[in-house]
Amino acid sequence: MFDELLSDLKAKFPSVSIELDKREVGDSVLIVDAASLFEVSQYLKESTRWDFNVLQVITGHDLPPDFIAVTYILASYRQNSELLLRVKLGRQNPKVKSVVPLWPAANFQERECYDMLGVQFEGHPDLRRILCPEDWEGFPLRKDYKAAESYNGMEIYPQEKLNLADRQFGKKGQKSVEVTETVE
Amino acid sequence: MQDSVVLVKVDDFFNWGRKNSLWPMTFGLACCAIEMMATGAAKYDLERFGCGAFMATPRRADLMIVAGTVTLKMATRIKVLYEQMASPKYVISMGSCSNKGGPYWQHGYHVLKGVDEIVPVDVYVPGCPPRPEALIEGIMTLQKKIATERPLRDKWVKHV
Repeated sequence: MFDELLSDLKAKFPSVSIELDKREVGDSVLIVDAASLFEVSQYLKESTRWDFNVLQVITGHDLPPDFIAVTYILASYRQNSELLLRVKLGRQNPKVKSVVPLWPAANFQERECYDMLGVQFEGHPDLRRILCPEDWEGFPLRKDYKAAESYNGMEIYPQEKLNLADRQFGKKGQKSVEVTETVE
Repeated sequence: MQDSVVLVKVDDFFNWGRKNSLWPMTFGLACCAIEMMATGAAKYDLERFGCGAFMATPRRADLMIVAGTVTLKMATRIKVLYEQMASPKYVISMGSCSNKGGPYWQHGYHVLKGVDEIVPVDVYVPGCPPRPEALIEGIMTLQKKIATERPLRDKWVKHV
C-alpha cells in the first residue's frame, strides 16, 4: 500500500518533498513538508481511492536540537487501512497549518499538542491550553523543560518532603553516600 | 463557666451525632475514587458507619475524602471547595498521591506533593489505591478522633 500511495502522491504533488520511512517492524511513516501538509491531508481525505475519513490521534515529540515532529494517525474505515503522516517543524518556531477544517476531531488534539510542545497551529479556531492551567509557563514535553519552583504560591518540590537521602535506593545505610541536604 | 460532668455529657452527645452522620462530599480525583465508589456501594456498604450519604455540594458536607492525584491545577479548586464546607469539617487524604505525591514525587512537575500543603488533613490512608477496607479503617479512625473532641468546652471554658 505504501509504495502505491507514495507514487500516487508524488504524481499528484510533484513540487512537494515526500519521504517514506518504511519499516519492516512497526509502522511505516510518511513524512511530508510542513508547508504542504494541509493540501496532502485534503487529498488523502477526499480522494475516493485513499479515503482517510478518520483522524485518530495527533501526537508530537521533541527531537532536540533541531526538530519537533508532529504525527497524524489517519485511518480509513472504508478501505480498512491506517497511515502515519508526519511533519518535522523547526524547534525555534514550530508552526503548521491546522487540519480542523478537514477533521473536527483535530480540535482538542491540536490543543493538547500546543499545550505540551508549543506547536502553533495556524487557523485553529480556539488554540488555548487544554490540560495545563491557563497561566502555566513553558511546554512540559520539551526535552529542555525545567519544572517551575512554585505555582500560585504552592511549592512544587518542597525539600523537606523529598527525602533526598532515600533517592539512591539500597545505599542509604552505606557510609560512602554523602547526604548534603539538611532536613529541618 | 466551669468544665463539668454536664458539659462532658453534652459534648459526648454532640460527638455521637457528628461521628455517626459524617456526610462526605462527592469528590473523586483519580483511580482512588473508584475504590471510594466501591466502598460506598453494596459490597462494602459505607452506610453501616453512618457515612454513606455522599453530598453533591461542599456546603452540605462534613468530610472531604481527597481521593486521587492532586494536580496543581486542581489544588486551587480543592482549597476553594474546602473553604466552602461548613464547620466542623474533616479531611481524609486517601492514597499515596494525595498523601505525598505518590509516583509523581520526584518528576511530577504538575503534582502537589501532598494535599496537606493546602488543607489540614485529619487522617492519612496509605495505599495505591487503598482497598475499601483501608478506607473504612480510615473513616473509623476519624470517628474515634471525633469522639475525643470537646466542642463546647473549647468554645466556652477558658483557662482549664
